[in-house]
Amino acid sequence: MDSTVFIYAGVLLKAMGTTIWLSWLALLIGALGGFILALMQTSRFRALRIVTLLYTQFFVSVPVLIVLFFCYYGLPRLFDIEISSFAAATIALAAHASAMLSAVIAAGITSVGRGQWEAAQVSGMTYPQLMRHIIMPQAAQVILPPFVGVYIRLVKESSIAALIGYVELTQTGLLIRESTHAGLAIIGVVALLYFILNYSISLAGGALERRLKVAGRPPLGARQ
Amino acid sequence: MTASPMLRIDGLVKRYGAHTVLDGVSLDVSPGEVVCIIGPSGTGKSTLLRCVNGLDDIQGGEITVAGMPARAHSKGILEVRKRIGMIFQSFNLYPHLTALQNVMLAPVVVHGEKRSTVEERARALLAKVRLSHRFDAYPGQLSGGEQQRVAIARALATNPGLLMFDEPTSALDPETVGEVLAVMRDLAKEGRTMLVVTHEIRFAADVGTRMVFMDQGKIVESGDPREMLADPKTPRARAFLQSVMAH
Repeated sequence: MDSTVFIYAGVLLKAMGTTIWLSWLALLIGALGGFILALMQTSRFRALRIVTLLYTQFFVSVPVLIVLFFCYYGLPRLFDIEISSFAAATIALAAHASAMLSAVIAAGITSVGRGQWEAAQVSGMTYPQLMRHIIMPQAAQVILPPFVGVYIRLVKESSIAALIGYVELTQTGLLIRESTHAGLAIIGVVALLYFILNYSISLAGGALERRLKVAGRPPLGARQ
Repeated sequence: MTASPMLRIDGLVKRYGAHTVLDGVSLDVSPGEVVCIIGPSGTGKSTLLRCVNGLDDIQGGEITVAGMPARAHSKGILEVRKRIGMIFQSFNLYPHLTALQNVMLAPVVVHGEKRSTVEERARALLAKVRLSHRFDAYPGQLSGGEQQRVAIARALATNPGLLMFDEPTSALDPETVGEVLAVMRDLAKEGRTMLVVTHEIRFAADVGTRMVFMDQGKIVESGDPREMLADPKTPRARAFLQSVMAH
């Protein structure tokens, strides 16, 4: 490996930061959207469930790249607005993440037994109180592992932002390769940085999972 | 107010599709009464309790709790539920909270009471159900009988005007049934208003102030527990009591 990699180390690390920021923002917006969608999906109102189904099925079925192109080239024309490559990438990734996370969060919510809902309901709790104190703390254990998986997927998917010219980690690697003689080595370094990033997320997720598990053991007598 | 019942059920009809589970049930429970509902499985005893606190919607008739109409999905149902303590067959303790936290949750979250005063009361309630040594245990670490006693303490924490028990001992090992019944006996002695669905005929006879026999969605017979046990008026009650007492 020649010295180019070391010369560009700072640039690469900064690009890694950009990738983290982009995927993190998309995850946050996606998680918020996914949570609302999951509440709609588990609602007793049929219309809400149908809307959610259409939304999630659309974004799960259509490639993120197509959504990204639509956001970058389509939205400005439709609404006559300026949209940066960063904003387009964030919207596209968040839309995709919200669809994936709504399924994950809804599965977590429905994993909490009927008896838990009823015990909370009969104590006079409102729906938000019940969600916050009873359902979500228990659903979190079910949600966390696939949630971490979605985050890792988002980090990788954020590389498609390179295709609309947004300079994140992948695009930085490609630019360095073009302007220097680093060749494949630089792509290898980029891959290594993705690996370090995602492996860290995976480890952190595992640690969080273990912490959640300590308190929440299922009751011996639970029959629901 | 003196003569008004805590719970009034009038002509209650509950259907699941074409199947009628409760067919014109009327029942009043006055303050201080311990009403035990007995009868074969699948006759709508549990459904009756579920209709009272709005877990199940009703198709006909009327239910009022402390003068307030009780109807699933209605605005007033939260106020109704705040006045009722419910004990389930399968306990339904919150597995992510300790025994103490289980008892404290509703007073703090639903009734907006101060945590410090609630904690003191929760400890006293757990002591009352003989679980002073288990404050910090999670439900998963407790036996069935202990869990059900925590559930009773949890139901008492908001000092409800009516306690409803839905087959509280049916999911328990035989050796722990007694400890739960003993706690329920104490509550009856205190003068608590209780509506109990149970298969424990002897408990119903000893502790109940009134026994209600239900069959096929209807109240077939009701009256003084000891009289009913000794001399059931209807053939169906007689047949049922004979078959249970034989065991």
